[in-house]
Amino acid sequence: MAISTIAKGPSPTRRAPSRGRSRYRRSETAWGYAFVLPAIALFAVMGVYTIVYGFSLSFASWNGFTPEWRWVGLKNYADLLWADPQYAPLVHQAALNTMWVMIAVPVLTVLVSFPLAVLLNSVRRLKTVLRSVYFLPHVTSGIAVYFAWVYVLQPDGAINLLLRSLGLGSLQQPQGFLGNPTTALPTLIVITVWTSVPVAMLLYLASLQAVDPSLIEAARVDGASTWQVTRRIVWPLLRPITAIVVLLALRDSLQGFQTFLIMTNGGPGNHTNVLGLQTYRLAFLSQLSPTLGLSSALGWMLFVGALVLAAINVRVLRRVT
Amino acid sequence: MSTDTLRPAATGAPDTGRPARGSRVHLSLSTVLARGTVGVLLLLYAAISLYPFLWMVSAAFKDEIEVVSGGHLIPHRPTLRTLTETWNELHFFDYFLNSLKVTGLTVLLVLVIYSAAGYAFSVLHFPGRKALYRLFLALLFVPGVTVLLPVVLLENKLGLLGGHWGLILPFVNGTAPLSILLMTNAFSSIPGELREAARVDGASELRIFTTIYLPLSRPVLITIAVLTAIPTWNEYLLTRVSLNDPEAYTLPIALQNLQSSAVLHYNVLMAGALIVVVPVIILFIAAQRYFVNGLIGAVKS
Repeated sequence: MAISTIAKGPSPTRRAPSRGRSRYRRSETAWGYAFVLPAIALFAVMGVYTIVYGFSLSFASWNGFTPEWRWVGLKNYADLLWADPQYAPLVHQAALNTMWVMIAVPVLTVLVSFPLAVLLNSVRRLKTVLRSVYFLPHVTSGIAVYFAWVYVLQPDGAINLLLRSLGLGSLQQPQGFLGNPTTALPTLIVITVWTSVPVAMLLYLASLQAVDPSLIEAARVDGASTWQVTRRIVWPLLRPITAIVVLLALRDSLQGFQTFLIMTNGGPGNHTNVLGLQTYRLAFLSQLSPTLGLSSALGWMLFVGALVLAAINVRVLRRVT
Repeated sequence: MSTDTLRPAATGAPDTGRPARGSRVHLSLSTVLARGTVGVLLLLYAAISLYPFLWMVSAAFKDEIEVVSGGHLIPHRPTLRTLTETWNELHFFDYFLNSLKVTGLTVLLVLVIYSAAGYAFSVLHFPGRKALYRLFLALLFVPGVTVLLPVVLLENKLGLLGGHWGLILPFVNGTAPLSILLMTNAFSSIPGELREAARVDGASELRIFTTIYLPLSRPVLITIAVLTAIPTWNEYLLTRVSLNDPEAYTLPIALQNLQSSAVLHYNVLMAGALIVVVPVIILFIAAQRYFVNGLIGAVKS
């Protein structure tokens, strides 16, 4: 889970300029531009250019090899949404899978990370060690750990072994958890949650430590139980953090696909194909078919989805805080 | 909720004010149960967190025959051969150096470029700075997958594709929003009097920046370095589509290659995975204090 959108710092103009400063000093202006120049230059090439280029490509048909683009207007968008008999069904299934991920991952992440943070906050010993252990999945998140998961999930892997030794042999998956069409998507969801819990847990932990202890003390004096305090006081106080955790998870579920690419590549069948992965496939795995424009269009639809989520994010946060 | 919840008072036992020795020793049964349950649950999740790593280590120390028979976490005939062979015969040292180069240069550039930008955004007054600052933050919303294809096409035109700079430049640009945000926050919290005093003494902006602002922001610089280094070390998508020449491979791609080789040996694959993961874990442990506190700070501010 990305931590990039969490921080909400002071604006750069927090220090009100003194009165005599209403006009910019020349030397300061020159220094200012000199200091931001490298960032701007890199952004102009790697950022602005690619964004503009990618956006115009979404209105064209191109296979990456022919010298000319063929302009098709909004056809790419229509093809993806309903018109094309080959791609529209793929996109529909990917959208359905993405929807399941977007429902399950945020809910499960909150259900695991909130109690975990509350429990961790209640112990004194081993707190730092456990915090680091819990954080490990986030730090190592990448191809190495996904291969380790593939290894334990394979037909004669450690998960099946564990189930057998616990007497839950009926839950074993003889084809492996990723080979069975019904278990593949839920398994990937669990692994996504496994990697998104660490940051969520840390966010909860940080704000638990900021909760005013006198509030809890007062509830205790009134005879509230641990459960009641957690449910009626702590949980409502941490609602803004829950909003952030949910929206980060939503965003990552909408756009993230690395786990899916590495572990199943969308299979079996298309049962774990998600929109991000479909975008990637149209861009890099369709050889000479002219699908680069389609890929770009799908990418921009995901971008619009992210913007809508961000807008909801702002509104929800304003309401709950 | 704090440790209070687990004190006897919380479970209905009379609160004797100061913890008399007796009340500490004779914990009520329900308290013991509650503490035990908390401990068990915490350890259970620790096990879930570590689960794939344990098997990764286990397989990396097994030989080819034993990894197939599987079934047990502790290798019966532990061997270092799998690790050394993976390291030597598959040229992992070369890939390791490539990864180190890409990650090191990315971190260096991020620190230089965005600390300068953060300085400008937080203390220098110049026309357009607010708009520029907002522009960089708005980038947070552009999804990686949307620009992946244009980046590759652009680099192809510029002749950067396939080389390490073709990875480093987009990686650096990708951290712009977060790095600028953290740097600007850090510099804004440094009292302006320091800068005024230095200016009166005739110091240039560059001098003020390098001798006052940078040293005072060391924790934030370390946080950004770690936050940049870890994902860069693990990066896979752009690397996979841009590198063709095995000489340029970074560790994740070398690992991917192991997996797609004709005969898959899980002990070799897990040994490779271990080689990829260990440096990140070492970095994480070494910088833990800054990293975690930096994250918490980002939340609180």
